[in-house]
Amino acid sequence: MASDLTSHGSIHISPRAIATVAYQAAVESYGVVGLASKNLLDGFSNMIVKDPAHGIEVHYEGEAIRIDMYIVIEYGTNIKVVADSVAKTVRFHVEKALGLPIQEVAVHVQGLRISEKG
Amino acid sequence: MKKDKATSGSPIVLDKAPARVKRLIVLQQFPVNGKAVKRLAQAAYAWLDANKQTVNALNVFPVPDGDTGTNMSLTMKSAMEEIKNLPEDKADDMLNALAQGALMGARGNSGVILSQLWRGFARSVQGKPSLNSKDLAEAFASARDTAYKGVVRPVEGTILTVAKDMAAEAEAAVAEGIDPITLLVRVLQAAKDSVNRTPELLPILKQAGVVDSGGKGLSLLMEGMMRWVEGHQVHTAEALAQPIAAINLEGTMDAVEEGQDYEVVVDFRPSEQLDLMRFYSDLEKIGTSIQVGEGDGMYRMHIHVPTDKVYEPIDYTRKLGIVTKVAIENLMDQMTEISAKAGKAPLKFAAVQAGQIAVVAVAPGSGLARHFAELGVAAVVEGGQTMNPSTADLLSSFENLPTDKVIILPNNKNIILAAKAAADVSAKKVLVVPSRNVPQGIAAMLRHNPKGDLDAVARDMEGTLAGVQSGEITTANRDVEIDGVKVKIGQMIGLHNGKLVVASEDLETVSRELLKQMGAAQAEVMTLYYGEELREEEAKSIADALRQAFPGKEVDVHSGGQPYYQFIISVE
Repeated sequence: MASDLTSHGSIHISPRAIATVAYQAAVESYGVVGLASKNLLDGFSNMIVKDPAHGIEVHYEGEAIRIDMYIVIEYGTNIKVVADSVAKTVRFHVEKALGLPIQEVAVHVQGLRISEKG
Repeated sequence: MKKDKATSGSPIVLDKAPARVKRLIVLQQFPVNGKAVKRLAQAAYAWLDANKQTVNALNVFPVPDGDTGTNMSLTMKSAMEEIKNLPEDKADDMLNALAQGALMGARGNSGVILSQLWRGFARSVQGKPSLNSKDLAEAFASARDTAYKGVVRPVEGTILTVAKDMAAEAEAAVAEGIDPITLLVRVLQAAKDSVNRTPELLPILKQAGVVDSGGKGLSLLMEGMMRWVEGHQVHTAEALAQPIAAINLEGTMDAVEEGQDYEVVVDFRPSEQLDLMRFYSDLEKIGTSIQVGEGDGMYRMHIHVPTDKVYEPIDYTRKLGIVTKVAIENLMDQMTEISAKAGKAPLKFAAVQAGQIAVVAVAPGSGLARHFAELGVAAVVEGGQTMNPSTADLLSSFENLPTDKVIILPNNKNIILAAKAAADVSAKKVLVVPSRNVPQGIAAMLRHNPKGDLDAVARDMEGTLAGVQSGEITTANRDVEIDGVKVKIGQMIGLHNGKLVVASEDLETVSRELLKQMGAAQAEVMTLYYGEELREEEAKSIADALRQAFPGKEVDVHSGGQPYYQFIISVE
């Protein structure tokens, strides 16, 4: 839990709150068509999740916050650029919303979605 | 190609091209074959690249994708590499290669979306060596669909919206049986209109006073194509003036340069077509922070200049046409004033969203300004009995607000007319709630609803005015007898709703008598705003005396900071 000691007491921000902000930023980011549960390796391969706690993991390493995102990208887009862009967007929005620096946003491309044949 | 002179971005309409040239081009290049696709794409890229700094400048401060123009241009450059050595006979091959190149070289968010647009466009024309109007319309629709598929939650007011509006126009045009060239002309116009609408859809754009950068880039690509069709050059950007409303004079204070002591703003009507390139370069010799706005044949020029050049921008613009208005401000003086006030926390005004109602209040003192800010006004104009703000002061307070619905609270009977004049002059929908004094303004402000219907809210606010009991205490500046009250110069006088009711040497007596007249006995709360001449302790001791005189009543005391008036009082 990220904590901040203020003159009034302390503020704790749960990983879930951070994940929610990250989720909102990710789904508005161009090229990202969904988040995938990390467990998808276990067989739920087409599962695209709506719950921000799946597909996004927030870790605290001491003071530092690290976000892992498991995303599905639209087939036919430039995957590297989309992944870069979502990492930047998520970092920007989370830092803006929470006022806390993010040490790292790691993007894991879990799959591609093919909307159209051809 | 002959280099034509800057024409200030007038809309390109094919009808304006000489008929002979038009026919020639149409005959040579249409229906759109592979060669035409290549030439159009090259012109599109060249024009976007020439204008990429304009697009870069459209960024809304700290968004991650901070160089849209450059990114889109580099994406197109990669597409150009891909089609460079391709056989020119087939349109579909050309577009496939183009889409492939855009995909490989996509930079940034905007580049990815652009590559998706090309991909959708190319996909729809498979098997077609040349394209007619119907093919083009279908391709625009396919481009839109493909682009929208790439995001879970599309944000409107972006390049996606522009692509959507372009596709809709192409579909409408083909239904009318229009030739490919005219179709593209109409799509370009739709793109431009759509770009101009983006601030209405995306509040952050409106706040920053810009249009969407990605949408602008897309519109420039279309514009490049049509410029080429009409034989205009596509390699050099032409300086464009922004709409007058987009000039952001607020932010310019941050950028005051050493030695540039004066801000000069000149409104003028040029006697002939203004050559903006030359205009800019001439102005750069005079000063810095140059901004030029255009609207309705009128131009507004903003510049920072050193003291010895204060009159140069005015003399210069007078040579170009009729100067209608000039404003000069001493920046150094303002900076000093700002630093002097820096000790106090800055006023925090309500942030207005596009489409919401902004209230602008006139406040005669810093404490009252703060109070109005706390009540949710979007801007405060300083002014009162002895310093009535001008129509221009009022106008400039709300011209830059990101909404077109404004209510003015003049808070003084002498300012109501200026407020009404400002309302008449403004292009926004402005209503004046004619508050004649500060307590009326405060009462009206309590009824404000930023999300309501403008007329209804203004009516509601105005409805409170009549019921407000307002009192003012000031010092008489001559001997007089009004309504049976004898006043000697130097005495303090109490005014109830503007009417003289009491005079005395003693402030406490005046306050008590005035409050009696105002019906304090039946009231619940009395609020006193003390002026700059009174110290806090003096104000508080009078409040204590009033609490004894009116037992059981609540007496609030606030610093109003107004000059000349010891107290401004409201009773509820």
